[in-house]
Amino acid sequence: MSARPETLLTRLMPRPIWVGLVAAALLAVLAPQANSYLLFVANQLCIYVILAVGLNLLVGYTGQLAFAHAALFGIGAYGTALLKVHFGLPFIVTLPAGALLATVVGLAISLPALRLTGLYLTLATLAFAQFTLWVFLHWEGVTFGAGGFRVPRPDWLLPGLSPDVGSFALALLLAIVMTLAAASLVRSNTGRAMIAVRDGEVAAEALGIDLLRTKATAFGLSAFYAGTAGGLQALMLGYVAPESFDLFHMALMKAMIVVGGMGSIVGSVIGAGAVLFLLEGLRAFKGAQEIAFGLLLMGAVIFFPRGVAGWLQALPGWAERYLRTAPPPAPEPDAVPEEAKP
Amino acid sequence: MPPAPRVAPPVNPHSAPAETEPMRRLSLLVSVAAAMLAAATLPARAQGAPGVTADSIRIGSFGPLTGPGYLYGRLVMNGVEAVFDRVNAQGGIHGRRLVLTREDDRCEPAAAIAATRKLIHQDQVFAIIGGGCSNAALAARGEIEQASVPTVIFAAVADGLTTPRAPTIVSTALTSGLEGVAQVAYAQQQGARRIAVVSMRDAWGRSRYTPLMEELKRRGITPVADEEVSPDANDATAQVLRLRQANADAVILLLYPKPGAVFLRDAAKFGYRPLVIGQSGIADPAAFEEQVGVPGATARFVTISQVRFTPESPEMAGWREAIQAKYPSDRLSVFNMFGIGSAQVLVEALRQAGPNPTREALMQALNGVTNLGTDTYGGPITCTPTDGRCNRTVVWIQKEPGGPIRIVGTTAVE
Amino acid sequence: MLSYLLLSGISTGAIYALVALGIVLVYKATGTINFAHGDQLMIAGFLAWTLHVGLGLPYLVAMAGAVAGGFVLGALAERIGFRAVLRGNLVNVVLATLGLAFVLKGVARLTWGGISDYLAFPPLVPPDPIIIGDIILLPQQLVVTAGALAVMGAFALFFRFTTMGKAMQATADNPKAARLVGIRVENIHMLAFAVGSAVAGAGAALMAPVTLLYPDIGFMLFIKGFAAAVLGGLTSLPGALLGGLAIGVVEALAGGYIDSSAIEVSAFVAIMATLILRPRGLLGGPPPRRA
Repeated sequence: MSARPETLLTRLMPRPIWVGLVAAALLAVLAPQANSYLLFVANQLCIYVILAVGLNLLVGYTGQLAFAHAALFGIGAYGTALLKVHFGLPFIVTLPAGALLATVVGLAISLPALRLTGLYLTLATLAFAQFTLWVFLHWEGVTFGAGGFRVPRPDWLLPGLSPDVGSFALALLLAIVMTLAAASLVRSNTGRAMIAVRDGEVAAEALGIDLLRTKATAFGLSAFYAGTAGGLQALMLGYVAPESFDLFHMALMKAMIVVGGMGSIVGSVIGAGAVLFLLEGLRAFKGAQEIAFGLLLMGAVIFFPRGVAGWLQALPGWAERYLRTAPPPAPEPDAVPEEAKP
Repeated sequence: MPPAPRVAPPVNPHSAPAETEPMRRLSLLVSVAAAMLAAATLPARAQGAPGVTADSIRIGSFGPLTGPGYLYGRLVMNGVEAVFDRVNAQGGIHGRRLVLTREDDRCEPAAAIAATRKLIHQDQVFAIIGGGCSNAALAARGEIEQASVPTVIFAAVADGLTTPRAPTIVSTALTSGLEGVAQVAYAQQQGARRIAVVSMRDAWGRSRYTPLMEELKRRGITPVADEEVSPDANDATAQVLRLRQANADAVILLLYPKPGAVFLRDAAKFGYRPLVIGQSGIADPAAFEEQVGVPGATARFVTISQVRFTPESPEMAGWREAIQAKYPSDRLSVFNMFGIGSAQVLVEALRQAGPNPTREALMQALNGVTNLGTDTYGGPITCTPTDGRCNRTVVWIQKEPGGPIRIVGTTAVE
Repeated sequence: MLSYLLLSGISTGAIYALVALGIVLVYKATGTINFAHGDQLMIAGFLAWTLHVGLGLPYLVAMAGAVAGGFVLGALAERIGFRAVLRGNLVNVVLATLGLAFVLKGVARLTWGGISDYLAFPPLVPPDPIIIGDIILLPQQLVVTAGALAVMGAFALFFRFTTMGKAMQATADNPKAARLVGIRVENIHMLAFAVGSAVAGAGAALMAPVTLLYPDIGFMLFIKGFAAAVLGGLTSLPGALLGGLAIGVVEALAGGYIDSSAIEVSAFVAIMATLILRPRGLLGGPPPRRA
């Protein structure tokens, strides 16, 4: 990066970051004064932002089409809430513990993922997600099964704040920190290695990039984000049940990063907001939400394949170098598949 | 990390023109925030109860409008709406029209909390009639309690919604615990010695399975087999073989109609015909016989209905027409009938709450509902301040293969 | 016991195989997975129900209607939606087809969802079980199994002996070369989606008496069909059949010898294990080139 002196400030604080911080500050001031429905939506927004940023690291930046994010989100939520319920540990301990549990699981699934590409990885992670749901449903002694369980509300979380405002404040703080961290990560060596893997594994390897290590980093980081979001979700809802972590939610998360823009942190934030806005805004459709959601998803992909981040490219100070725009390179010219003949 | 690879050449991001563009997004953000602030500071109606105007009363409803559970939300709400339409056509309640505001919870806890908060704080409804899925409704219970909004549960069956008693929640749905008691009693009354349980382990199934197992234990019965069938199963051979091996003579079936039909079909395949005891999730034996599709397989199947008529009964003609007129592609279903019965209870309580209704007065009226007859429920509805399980009548129904549906008994569970 | 379980596993597996065949067909020509495949099947099934039960037309007419309806639905979806994204990256294609899946589910719920919880479809063969010695069979399950074999056989012939089939094969093998020899790749893609969806239509009419019809049947079948397709290697028609049967049998054996609660999860565990050992499925080779 060639830093001219006058761009030092913009380097440290590029435009998307200060716009985002202003928005976050507005949210911080306004949401606690709003009614509890809007506060809830604001809290959900922060959680979705963390989820979308984490998923984009894996799918948008590293190019791994995994379908386990909702399950990892669930592992974070169950980990956080169950440690509280079974052992009475404070949230200040269980929240990071839940996130770490999700990270460990994320790292574990990255091991076989090294050998799997494209749709095979999709199916393997899909199978893992279904397996996780099955565990939530059937390990009744620990997870309380399909009926879910209540999580006590923390009133001590931040002294002087109501539980709702307190969990919102924590979610907002974490959303800001984790988004900034991701934005700085993708400019680092690790981030560049992730992008190299996305754009061509063979070429990346030729450049001396450790494929396993890079993929594992991406899986682990992404899982850490999902786990943190899960813990926050458990705090916010005060209730954990398996149906919050099924494939519908996986589709929602995928929609966030596609609408926002694959390979864009700004896009992840905007995409999370857009999907939440749709979910709540589409309530007006009363029964036709599924159709409206599906049409919007198709429309976004067909007409704006680069997502919102694609539009923002044109703005000064908003251009992103790693936005995924072009079709992926064709697979290596292997031998003609002979099994294609029936 | 290995040596840093340079992947993309550095690009100067400051090359595009139009300096004022980012302000557009900022102003959008500001306007969204301003809208939030405006909504937050909206003056809550100071005089009169929330949701009540000179000519209308706003009632909220939450339940699944989309997703697999929509039967327990959208269709029940259609029944509620049919009742409201009829009341409004007759001049409303003390001159006020009833307006129903629906919110989708997709059968999910998070969406149910958002939906109830929206109904209570944003739409400012006077009372709520809703709750289609147990987990979603359980999550919403906290919100309702906190805001003390009078609420009638219309379809969700979990006992935890009403026990321990939430002061402002009553349920006109037969709770799963009551059905479990009735199922075990029925099996014993029929002389069953070896009882088996076949269940789904999703939220719906679990809300029935847990109280059923408690009831069996209370009576000192150990089930001879305890099998699971998934909601989308297309085969139940393994389960049937195990039950046959355990020589079960009565099977308590905690399944939806689809897996239930698969189970009975595979049981018939092996000529295994125990007494099979269903519950109100399979409430239409005529439709169920067609779903099973093997002649005679349902001969020893008996099930519970929450309502005392089938959708085809002549007594339901009026409601059948009302539903078909309003929702042309629908047919009257038992789900509509839950909504009709439930709404009639709410309407009666609203009437008794008087011309200047308050939430307290409505709650008092709901708690005082005694022996109220409805067009659909199996028996009279009675709520008390100590027990919110207002519907306690189990109607046992059976259909001889090829014959009509018969009511084989009615039990009032104490 | 083992013979009963194997038999029931094969008849469930045939259902998965019927779904998987359509998925493989689309993948062979386009290199992508149609996440709306199950929901196209569901719509075709409701179409068959409307023709057969609603309007009282003969079963074969209803089946033809489901096949034609599926064909049109697939062609429209490709023309309106997928053509624009097929050249983009895989995630976008997956998301576009997922969007279509939501639309179809919503439409089905509004159109047929208010009639009953699960619509029964009268079987086309006498429903009484057939008993041959120790073996007990439900005729309709035999029909499904035969249908899966017939569909596979038909496509084997189609790929081997028709120009269109050879063109599809060529496009799958090398789209650039196919374009050079004058094959219109877009048309082949549209045809693949249409035929894949028509296969789903045939499958729907065959399996509806066994599976019943409801708006959410599609996604569950898609997941199992996708699993079967990947297990078989994604590009192989016999592989899809094999994959479907394998999943059906694994489920039945898990139910019989482990526990009935293990049925649902056994398929997914088997998939994870298979993919760890054989990253390209049982009969899979390298992926087709994408245009």
